Amino acid sequence: MNPTELITLREFITVVPLCVLFFVSLIPLLIKPFLGGREPNPISVLVWNFLAILAAAGCTGALFGHSYQKTFAFSNAIVLDGTSVWMSYLVYIVTAVGIMLAYDHVATRGRQFTEFCFLMVSSACGMLVLIMSNDLIVTFIGIETMSLCLYILVAMSREQVLSKEAAFKYFVLGSFASAIFLYGIALVYGTVGSTYLPDVATQGVKLISTNRVFLVGAILLITGFAFKVSIFPFHTWTPDVYQGASTPVTAFMSTAVKAASFVAFLRFFTSEAFVAAPHLLTVMTWLAVLTMTVGNVAAILQNNFKRMLAYSSVAHSGYALVGLITAGFGTNYNAAATSLLFYLFSYSLMTLGTFALVAVFERSENTSLEINDLRGVGRKYPWLAMSMTVLMLSLAGIPPTLGFFGKFFVFSSAIEQDMYWLAFWGMINSVVSVYYYLRPIVVMYMSEGEAETLQIGLMTRGTVIVTGLLIVILGILSSPFFRMVQNSVMNQF
Amino acid sequence: MLLSVITLLPLAFALVMLVLPEKVIRPVALLLAVVEFAVSLLLLTSFDKASPAIQLVEQIPWVPEMGISYFLGIDGLSLWLVILTTFLTPIVVLGSWTAIDNRIKGFHAALFVLQTSMIGSFLAMDAVLFYVFFELSLVPMYFMVGIWGGQRRIYATVKFFIYTMAGSLMMLLAIIYLMFACRDTFGQMSASLLDFYRLKIPFVAGEFLNPQTLLFFAFSLAFAIKVPMFPVHTWLPDAHVEAPTPGSVILAGVMLKMGSYGFLRFVLPMFAEASQYYAWLFLFLGVVGIIYGALVAMVQPDIKKLIAYSSVSHMGYVMIGLFSLNMYGVSGSLYQMLNHGISTGALFLLIGMIYERTHNREIAKYGGLAKALPIYTIIFIIVTMSSIAVPMTNGFIGEFMILLGTFEASRPFAIAAVTGVVLGAVYMLWMVKRVFFGPAGELVRDEHHPLHDLNARELTVMAPLVVLIFWMGLNPNFFLDYSKASLDHFVKNRDNYRLAVSPAQPKLENVAVRGEAQ
Repeated sequence: MNPTELITLREFITVVPLCVLFFVSLIPLLIKPFLGGREPNPISVLVWNFLAILAAAGCTGALFGHSYQKTFAFSNAIVLDGTSVWMSYLVYIVTAVGIMLAYDHVATRGRQFTEFCFLMVSSACGMLVLIMSNDLIVTFIGIETMSLCLYILVAMSREQVLSKEAAFKYFVLGSFASAIFLYGIALVYGTVGSTYLPDVATQGVKLISTNRVFLVGAILLITGFAFKVSIFPFHTWTPDVYQGASTPVTAFMSTAVKAASFVAFLRFFTSEAFVAAPHLLTVMTWLAVLTMTVGNVAAILQNNFKRMLAYSSVAHSGYALVGLITAGFGTNYNAAATSLLFYLFSYSLMTLGTFALVAVFERSENTSLEINDLRGVGRKYPWLAMSMTVLMLSLAGIPPTLGFFGKFFVFSSAIEQDMYWLAFWGMINSVVSVYYYLRPIVVMYMSEGEAETLQIGLMTRGTVIVTGLLIVILGILSSPFFRMVQNSVMNQF
Repeated sequence: MLLSVITLLPLAFALVMLVLPEKVIRPVALLLAVVEFAVSLLLLTSFDKASPAIQLVEQIPWVPEMGISYFLGIDGLSLWLVILTTFLTPIVVLGSWTAIDNRIKGFHAALFVLQTSMIGSFLAMDAVLFYVFFELSLVPMYFMVGIWGGQRRIYATVKFFIYTMAGSLMMLLAIIYLMFACRDTFGQMSASLLDFYRLKIPFVAGEFLNPQTLLFFAFSLAFAIKVPMFPVHTWLPDAHVEAPTPGSVILAGVMLKMGSYGFLRFVLPMFAEASQYYAWLFLFLGVVGIIYGALVAMVQPDIKKLIAYSSVSHMGYVMIGLFSLNMYGVSGSLYQMLNHGISTGALFLLIGMIYERTHNREIAKYGGLAKALPIYTIIFIIVTMSSIAVPMTNGFIGEFMILLGTFEASRPFAIAAVTGVVLGAVYMLWMVKRVFFGPAGELVRDEHHPLHDLNARELTVMAPLVVLIFWMGLNPNFFLDYSKASLDHFVKNRDNYRLAVSPAQPKLENVAVRGEAQ
């Protein structure tokens, strides 16, 4: 396509949801100056942002929901296929829930709620770019848009000292990762002569075993992604940032950011280039094994609930990486990619619910929730405790929850590709993880103690209970859900 | 429909428990449990005991992409285990009438969920469905031990959970492997057991790294932990001692059987060559378990721990019976599974009753109980007789058949196992002597807390168990007749095991049925 050609309507349509999301979410921000800088009514902010998300979701549904025809736009830099549609829905859901949690939460529902929501939605726009990108430069833009908003979001909890520290740490390390990523792009461009992913794929097959510069470039790109999805040894920021950020932000980060980054990672990684690099497979396999192990073992040692969940999220990156590796190096792309996307969905749902629960227990901005603070909850708040139990068991992968099926599909695609080693370590790690996932349940039900009286926001409570229910229902009815994801992945390549 | 009703009814009951007010929970739970038992007795009428096929089959695709279906069926191997489960539940509800005094709502809900998962694992004919039920059973038991248990309950319950889960995850890997093996052989993924039986899995004798051996050990590990076999039995004494009485009864009565049933349903027929080849290992571990369990039981100061170790010993018999791989041994094992459920369940109930009175289980503090509690003593001794396999009681039939089978299979092991019979008599009778006879112990003497003999409720709890002990001891054929066809088929065709489906359903999804129809 001629790059000088004007943007056609057809191309524009592909980014309509993104534009709708962004511009509608601007409205409350624009209203604020007219109120003399006073904070608009939080409910109206909430409504506007919901409207933005609903409108965007509606656009996605109406324009692309009926067929998963693969569409390219903007000189092929943007690709719209089933994967992007499905992951867009995930981003919409997570953002909506994130805003709901923020509305109820002490640390975020303050003077700057308008800005907070706007940043969250902008970050979501970055994610939408990220999951549609078919070009390394666009991927980079997506990552940066997403991350820049996040740096501010992490810092925005007003009183928290930890939040500032976390934001700074995240910012410095994130900038390094971006630099590394850019350097990787430069090297890949230098050898391939293009940043367009299909070009990288076709030329990479040859280059990866002959050209060291290309190999280094690819490794730097993988490093950049590994930082974003917190894969060992680039996971060290995770616990600090997850703990320091206000809980709604953590919920948002640990789900949407991770899912969107994984999708971009998937698009880059499944370009056939890497099949020709067996040594890279070895490295990635070990990274997956170590990520799972480090995450799980470190989680056992934590007493702070959010830190524990942060390490558990590292471990879950390891499981997702198993899916990614089977998609990248295996022969059955569809099955593996489906299992990965399914896993990301199930993981996001569980994690959202869990962090919503953490939010329930934070009554002041400086609360740091220890696992032992959950004492007596089983008696006082039976429904919350039951949801928590379901969420924890699902994270641990106990049937018939959604978490079980997520793991089941990932490990079965690993076994299909004869990657028994990965599956074996995944299983061992599941056993290890049971230990710390059981701890909150033990404390809630089995320890002596009286729970504090909580003021639970309606929407947070709703999130907890709905996710708890969904995890069981979608777990038992996982088949139609799996088929939807499968259909959406089918015609990607 | 019947099987689904039996499986899922308790789950509905669990929901009922959650919405009922606390006051009426116990009577309603008892009523519902009895209803469930009555429904399960319908199995005896609709079951065709002449046929080895799996019957009353229900199959609905669940995850068709992976060939997983909701597939229930029953045959002679599972029939009595299902009825044992439904039989013990009302007894447990009645037995825990006063023992469980807090959070009774949650307790009965957990009990019913547990019942669903246990029945489900006995009835599932789909490996993944089986796995789901098998794992699900951990959760309610985990709560039962953890919430209503004794001092070290948290340690015990976490150990129980992780131990069992560690074993079963390897089994999950093996199941997934077999599902793909089905795809490679039959062109379509399947998790149906009928398809698994038809797989020819390569076996190399004497080498470890070949598919059948690895799969055999993956499954065996999961089930051996559940049984539990000697060296992976260590979770059992902890769990038993800390569990509340109803938890112990269900654990010993039914959950351990899920392990031995797994051997019978999965390991022995699916990996025929490997189980033949490695039978010596399991016979050896079984015998070690028998003797070790008995010796350790002998020196326990705590009655409940003694019974817990006696479980290790008794389940050792079940294992050697299974791995003797002949008709006597396998039928004896199946029978012994039921016996152990009844006699050990009864023992745990009896211990629970005395514990409610004295809040102590130390043997040394008792003595002379026979004078204070004559009826209790009579029942306890009857149950003890059953446990040490005195003729006329059910235990005798089971142990005798197992020893007969083992003798046929391997004499040295049979001889070693017989010593276990003697040791069993030693530790049980010695315990009975110390608790019930001799000078009155400090707890029995206690003037301030005079002991009362069993009341009407407790007698009602024990009566059906005592009746069964004699019924099963005097008329074993009534029970064995239902299983005979299946066991016969199992032993004769184990090398090339196939299960027919009756009535044959043309709409069945699984590859096996379609393959044979073509």
